[in-house]
Order: sequence, then C-alpha cells, then structure tokens
Amino acid sequence: MSSHATAVDARGLQVGYRNGRDAVTILSDVDLTVPTGEFLTILGPSGCGKSTLLRVIANLLDPLGGQISVLGGAPEVARRSRKTGFVFQDATLLPWRSVLQNIRLPAVVGGHQAQPLSDSRVAEIIDLLGLSGLEDRYPSQLSGGQRQRVAIARALVDEPDILLMDEPFGALDEITRDRLNDELLSIWRDTGKTILFVTHSIEEAVYLGQRIMVLGANPGRILNLQDLRAIKTETNACKREDPAIVAEIAAQRELLARAS
Amino acid sequence: MSRTTTILAPIFGAVSILAAWQFLLPLSGVPAYIAPTPTKIFSVFFTQSDLILSNFVPTATEALAGFFFGNLAAVFFAILFAYAKFVRMAYFPVVLFFNTIPILALSPIIILIFGLGMTPKIIIAAIICFFPTLVNMLRGLQSATANEEELFRMLSATRFETFLRLHLPRSLPMLFSSLRIATATAVIGAIVGEWIGADKGLGALIIQATFNYQSDKLYAAIVASSSLSIALFAMVALAERWVMRGWSK
Repeated sequence: MSSHATAVDARGLQVGYRNGRDAVTILSDVDLTVPTGEFLTILGPSGCGKSTLLRVIANLLDPLGGQISVLGGAPEVARRSRKTGFVFQDATLLPWRSVLQNIRLPAVVGGHQAQPLSDSRVAEIIDLLGLSGLEDRYPSQLSGGQRQRVAIARALVDEPDILLMDEPFGALDEITRDRLNDELLSIWRDTGKTILFVTHSIEEAVYLGQRIMVLGANPGRILNLQDLRAIKTETNACKREDPAIVAEIAAQRELLARAS
Repeated sequence: MSRTTTILAPIFGAVSILAAWQFLLPLSGVPAYIAPTPTKIFSVFFTQSDLILSNFVPTATEALAGFFFGNLAAVFFAILFAYAKFVRMAYFPVVLFFNTIPILALSPIIILIFGLGMTPKIIIAAIICFFPTLVNMLRGLQSATANEEELFRMLSATRFETFLRLHLPRSLPMLFSSLRIATATAVIGAIVGEWIGADKGLGALIIQATFNYQSDKLYAAIVASSSLSIALFAMVALAERWVMRGWSK
C-alpha cells in the first residue's frame, strides 16, 4: 500500500497528441483527485480521450498542459519505480512466452527496475487470478477471458499501487465480462489498489466504480463526476438488478445521450 | 480426412506422374534425348554415383555457405537499419537499387573479380539470399504492435531489452519465411555461378550434359539440385519448429 493519500491529482490538465509542431487537444480542463485505494471508472464515447488520459497518468504520453502528479510526484517517477501498472484492451501477451513467462516479464525487462520475482509471489498471483494449471500454456491456447486474467496478473505481479485499466474487458462476451468484473472487485478488495478503469460500457462503469467520471467528446471534457457509494455497500458491492443501480445506469445513459 | 489419406495423397500424386512419365511418354514419340524415363535418370545415381557426388559436394558447399553468409549479413543490416534511422535513410535506397541489378548481369563481374573458384559462387548465392531476408527481417523488427511497445515502455525496458525480448522474437516468423525461400534461391545462385565459370558443380554438369546430349545426366543433375534445395528447406523447417515452439500450439 502507498503512503500517499492521493493517488492521482490533476489540475487544468490538457491531453492529446502532437503532430509535428501542432498539438491536438482531445481532452481539456481535467481537474481530478483520486484518493489512494479508490476504484474510479472512466466512461465516455469513443474519441473523448479516456484512453489518452490513462496514458498520461501512466507516463506513456506527456500532457499538453496543466499539472499532474501521481502518488505525489511526477508520473515518470511512478512509472519508473513500478508504482503504476497498465492493462491493455487486447491483453498484449507475448505469443512466444508461456503464461508463466508472460507473468514473469516484469522480472526480466526494465534494467535495474527488474527485480527477481520469488516463486511464492508468482504462485500467489496465479492463485489470485485463478490461473492454476494454465502456467505452461501459450496465449494462443487461452480463451479471451483467460488472456485478460494473465494480463492482470502480469500488471499486479510486482505490486504496483495504481492499476490503470484501458477497456480490459471490452472485447469479451457479456457472461465472461460479468464474471471478470466480480473477480476484479474481489482483487481490489483483497489488495487495496487504486484502480482507474476505462470503459465504454455504462453498466460496467456503474457496477465497478466507487465513483464514475463521465467524459464527453467534441470538445473532450469532464461531464460529470459522480459518487456511487450511497447506492452500494461499504465494500463497493451491489446487485446488477438493484433498482438504484438500474436507475443510475439510466441516468448516466441520458447524460451521455444529451452530451453527444 | 484421415491422417493416412493426408500422407498417402501426395505420394499417390507423385507416383502416378512418375508412372505416366515412365510408360506413356515413350509411347507419345518424345525422343529419349529430350526426356529420358525416370528409371534411366535414377540409374545414373547408381551407375555414376561418383560423378554426381563429386559435382554435388561443391554446389552444396557453395549454396550452404552462400545461404549462411547472405542471411547473416541480411540479419545484421536489418538490425542496423531498424535502429539507426540515419543509416537506413542513407543506405536503404542504395540497397534497393542494388537489388534491381539482375543477378545474371552481376555474376560475370563477380567471377572477373574473384576468379573461377568457389568464392564467387558463394558470393552470388549470398547476394541472391540477402535482399529478401533483409526486407522481411526489417519489416519483422518493426512489426510489434503499439500496445506491445507501450508495455515495454511501461516496464522501463532498455533499448537492448526491447530488441531482445520484443523486436527480435516478433521478427522471427518473417525471418523464417524468407529463410525458407532462400533455401531454393541459394541453390539457384550457386548453379548460376557455376554456369558462368566452373569445371565442377551441378551447374557445370548441367552445361556439360546439355552440350553432349547426355540427357540422363542432365536430368540427374536437376534432381540432385532439387534434392539439395529440399534438404536445406527441411533443415530450415526443423529449426523453425524448434525456435518457434509454442507460437502456434
């Protein structure tokens, strides 16, 4: 667990990309404070900049303007010290490495940041993600859900404080997605990580998040930042068919429809 | 389709063609000096095995050495071009131009420079292997997805680690596909070199047999050179299966 009270703090943040000398802003005026240990979901239509925002927090992209700190310091420091972990939409497993070798990747790359992983730590993470028995399989032998489990295991294995997840379940069928949502919540409760979870599914965003940040496109901006704790239990649990959850999903849908 | 059928079908195909060649071709009136029967061709391997072997060994040596050095140089330059942008911008167009020169036009110059020994044939075989492997390997080294690059950046991978653990493995499917093609072109290179100036080797044997109307020897030399390509191909396929184990499981 991190000693910082704030996992992510952004003030007047502008994100986008540079095209030669031109800067193309996708999302602007982002003011956001994510306390340590929070599960924040980020929802928005395609092109609103939600993945780009996540990449700025991960230090995969530099911001175009404004201030951003991750665990009280620069995003680069958090990335270099392995305090942030990233899960991609397509799992991004290396096809020539087995499940075990993919999970151990953080121990073999990263220069002096690559610390050897103990067998017990690897066994623990394999157990946590329900991957026992699959260690020697290759990515092509896994289902979509299993692949994402391996990707999450790889992101968690060297114990980051913040897990950044970019539509990790976006390509999965609904049943698998629901199951992985429950597993992710369980991991979050067990580990106390801060999770920033990008999705374009309103149901998923409401079901998973303690707070939900809704982004609008053209121009990209924060439409709403809503606390969902009042309609969930203390452990961020809820039932999908709960009327309050259903009503919240409807409200978020209307908000998005009005903005687009 | 059963496994037995899968194995037997191509054997049946080959045997039926050989049988038709053996029994139907003489009936059609094609003279033996144009197309000798398969049994006559294969008998050369037994009656004149020394002649075939003494010509097979130089060609095999040239093709193997050309294959090895040509592909090794291609891999080296592909890595150089992939990571040294200025070198790629400066010299890749030169390599492209060099590739447009027909190997048949280039071969006499190489023979002029290096004489009639094995060296010019090895160089010709190496040149013919070089370009496809260079282009494929370069493309392979640059074929990692944006997410894979980001994953390695996320892990603060050094440039060498990214090369070794991402770009190099990513390039292997394309490298092996060009190595498979190179098994045939290396033999072609060695034979072309022998045509232009050599007194031994399968290329020299083909020329001598053609001018002496010894069509059984000519066809036997063709079978021997084809066998050489097949053997090289099998070696590459075995290496590929071993190196890429796990990829396609």
